[in-house]
Amino acid sequence: MMWFTAAVQAHGAAAAHAASEKEGFNAGETIIHHIANSAEHPLIPLPEIFGIDFSVTKHVFMLWLVALLVFVVVTWMVRRHLKQGPVPSTAGSGLETVVEFVRDSIVAPNVGSKWVDTWTPLILTFFAFIFTANLIGLIPIFEVVRLMNHWVVGADSSTFLGRLLEGGTTATANFNVTAGLAIVTFLAIIVAGTRAHGFLQHWKNLVPSGLAWPIYVLLIPIELLSMFVKPFALTMRLAANMTGGHIAILAVLSLVFLFAEMARTAIAGIAVGLVISIPLAVGISALECIVVLVQAYVFTLLSAVFIGMAIHVHH
Amino acid sequence: MNNPLVQPDPGLAIWTIITFLVLLGLLTKFAWRPLLRALEARRETIRKAMEDAQQAKLELEQLNKRSTEIIRNAHAEAETILSKSRDDADRFREEMKEKAREDAEAIVREARRRIETDTVRALRQIRNEVADLSFEIASKLLQRNLSKQDNEELVESVLKQIEAERPASLPS
Repeated sequence: MMWFTAAVQAHGAAAAHAASEKEGFNAGETIIHHIANSAEHPLIPLPEIFGIDFSVTKHVFMLWLVALLVFVVVTWMVRRHLKQGPVPSTAGSGLETVVEFVRDSIVAPNVGSKWVDTWTPLILTFFAFIFTANLIGLIPIFEVVRLMNHWVVGADSSTFLGRLLEGGTTATANFNVTAGLAIVTFLAIIVAGTRAHGFLQHWKNLVPSGLAWPIYVLLIPIELLSMFVKPFALTMRLAANMTGGHIAILAVLSLVFLFAEMARTAIAGIAVGLVISIPLAVGISALECIVVLVQAYVFTLLSAVFIGMAIHVHH
Repeated sequence: MNNPLVQPDPGLAIWTIITFLVLLGLLTKFAWRPLLRALEARRETIRKAMEDAQQAKLELEQLNKRSTEIIRNAHAEAETILSKSRDDADRFREEMKEKAREDAEAIVREARRRIETDTVRALRQIRNEVADLSFEIASKLLQRNLSKQDNEELVESVLKQIEAERPASLPS
């Protein structure tokens, strides 16, 4: 239902824009507006450094929010759990189960028992951060905030409060964010290989030793490419999965306005919404609930696998 | 590259890296390390507790074995004591019976002996008394010199007299 109201509001904004140009409802434009990083209206505009815009946008704000939430919740749970003594509470057991699952089922089999303590914190943070970011994107609380601003507060988008209340977004649905996370994995792979084998040996490990030189001519470019393909795949998989569900939900909800326009009556739109759009959107949302967990798990698992590959070289 | 879905935004990527690394540092220091250390410590505690329990179980088993042995020994000993005391009692009873029989025999023998001596004494007394009576009768016969019938009557009367006096004169 919240997606529904959000879409109604988004339509309102688009309609106001469209009215001036005497155009109809543009589903594509509405969806893009909803998903894209609003770089043209940053929360805190900052000057460019070396040609890079460091302005705090909606996505950066969401990253901070997620990081803060993860830090507060996890630290609070751990503190409470450690104070509990040797016998854990229900919440403590859940926390332990997750942490031990990540350590014993994701990290340990890949990086080995020698390095498990080194890389478990990174993998745990990946999992907590990505899962929370995915999940916050799934909960349409920020659309409610946006509607509240629209109806109650009425802050203009020229003010900081107005921009802050403009609404939230799924940070991990933006491939710049996932690229940032994948760069962390990329660096972690190099650090892991360097720490396990030394700096030079890590780079030598990229290709198997003792082959004829024409094979190296082929192999070295392939292995170098594979080094960059790994984080690129991580980037695209997570961003595309997070974006895809949102686009699907918005597209299904757009049917309401398209049909209302076609039939020139709101009743047609409402009927389509009740019969098709809302059931479909609910179904996709249910699917997304699984997807947010699975994608956080996949990113985490693959990062552990890649780090493990740098430590245990198999050719 | 006008599609906002794939618009490169290095600023956002760098903000992501910074945010993530800060979060990683803070969580590692305040959450993951303490938690992992606590998990490890508890695993160690549990392992030790289980070893202790195993040890205690072994000790308990040994104690059980020992106590079973002690109880078995005690049973055997009790059995020995019981059978021994039963034998003692049997022997004692037999001895008592034997002694009683001997006592009884002694008493009977004594009684017989006394009866015999008394009988001898009584017979001797009777004999003496008969002699006395015979003497008396003879003296009386001689004194009165009576007819044969009278003599017989006299003898008869004397004998009756003796008969009448005899039980009183017999020893008990």
